[in-house]
Amino acid sequence: MKLVIFAGTPGSGKTSVVKYVIQELKADFKLFFAKFDCLKTEDDKFIAERYEIPTIKKLAGELCPDHYTTLEIPKIIKENQDKDIILLETAGLCLRCSPYIKEGLGINVLDVISGNPDRYGPILTQADIVAISKGDLISQAEREIFRTNVLKVNPKAKLAEVNGLTGEGVIDIVEFIKASPEIKTEKLTLKHSMPSAICGYCYGNKIIDEAAVRQRYLAGKELKNLVPNLNCGKCGFKSCDEFIRAVLDVKAKKSQCPFIKEKLEIK
Amino acid sequence: MKTEIEKITILPGINKFGEKEKFEKIEIKKGEIVAIVGPTGAGKSQLLYDIEKLAQGDSKSKRIILVNNKRVSKKLRFEPKRKLIASLAQSMNFLTDISVKDFLSLHLEARGKKFDSELIKEVIGGANEITGEPILPETNILNLSGGQSRALMISDVANISISPVILIDEIENAGINKEKAMQILVEEGKIVLIVTHDPVLAFNTDKRIIVKNGGIIKILKTTLKEKGIGHYFNWVGNYSLEIREKIRNGEKVEKVKLFCEPIK
Repeated sequence: MKLVIFAGTPGSGKTSVVKYVIQELKADFKLFFAKFDCLKTEDDKFIAERYEIPTIKKLAGELCPDHYTTLEIPKIIKENQDKDIILLETAGLCLRCSPYIKEGLGINVLDVISGNPDRYGPILTQADIVAISKGDLISQAEREIFRTNVLKVNPKAKLAEVNGLTGEGVIDIVEFIKASPEIKTEKLTLKHSMPSAICGYCYGNKIIDEAAVRQRYLAGKELKNLVPNLNCGKCGFKSCDEFIRAVLDVKAKKSQCPFIKEKLEIK
Repeated sequence: MKTEIEKITILPGINKFGEKEKFEKIEIKKGEIVAIVGPTGAGKSQLLYDIEKLAQGDSKSKRIILVNNKRVSKKLRFEPKRKLIASLAQSMNFLTDISVKDFLSLHLEARGKKFDSELIKEVIGGANEITGEPILPETNILNLSGGQSRALMISDVANISISPVILIDEIENAGINKEKAMQILVEEGKIVLIVTHDPVLAFNTDKRIIVKNGGIIKILKTTLKEKGIGHYFNWVGNYSLEIREKIRNGEKVEKVKLFCEPIK
């Protein structure tokens, strides 16, 4: 099985590229498509209807989209053991992180009119392939300068120029996907670590005040130590962190979490 | 890696209906200009794409492109700097806020060449032969007119991009001397393929490839008569180029001085 992750800022042309990739691959491979977004997407339905492949939609909602994506990847793999290639598309990154997995293939769809590539963090610097989109909007010379600038920040990247409207260039990406390694181990590794600072704001604090955020952090951390951090969903929330926020906001009771309940009962 | 391209050969593939294209092979030699013509959606861009990607039977059209009579290795096809083929697309827009001179030196750097003030002068000089409105090295590229941008990019492709094959997709050609533009490109010993229905450009070629329903249906050798007609239209175009500049400069235009030069 191969795991291909498409990442890029909203509007860069990820879905358009993915569409053509699916069209090229679907005759020869069993595909699965997972779309990650922050708030809303209908792309899962669109892809499923047009290309007749199984898809899933995952909305990060209150969570950091990269944390969420990473937590969901093992589940997707487990549920799709019969597939040849899992295509995963993710948007809504803050550029601090990258969702790429060492064992898979990371593709950054980068819009040529998005400014100098040196502004981008690991989403670009750690990509295996950079798909440069919308090149038809600028001159040939400026496109070449852009390519050089991409290679300055990610010298190992393989470049492909793609046109999301016509599908030109997608054939290169398909070649790269076919040549990419299969996932052999069960343990996957992130290419880039997640943010180390977990603060009170992450637990839903809205008051910009040192004491308030500190207090919230301590209260959140205490709960964080009690919950399983597995996003099992038994509390009625999609994730442990959302549950913690709800408890701190007095919208949920601690005992809704079966793990905490069990610990409380033992005591 | 330097590759001399003496000739490219197109071997037949299939059209939209899966029927084999009816020609044995199309050879295009160094210094030749070939027009690609046909109705909208006929597959002109696909043909350019096949050549750009040096397709080996793996594109939609199943065509095979030979370079110097040989099949092309994957390594050469996916070479990241892709120096074999340059394409001049419809768009000539710029985004960077920078002077013409500095922009060209950035492009030189991107092409892995050292700063060369002589070459930069040559590029701007070449562009000024194509456009009526002179470009200065200090001009900001964002302030270039449409004609100036096109002229600059044509001269840039001819002088800085060392790619031996140039593909031009329906270039907008207002405000430029078209014959001169083609001449500058071919002077450098390049192969030029151009999608166009402009009589000046289409007749200023060695042959025309006619595309329909996704397949090549005919190859026409450009006749001397056609070349003459193209040449005539170019004169007319150049008059309008001159008058355009006069209008731009706020002059009155009440007379046109006609002069004709013989076809070379």
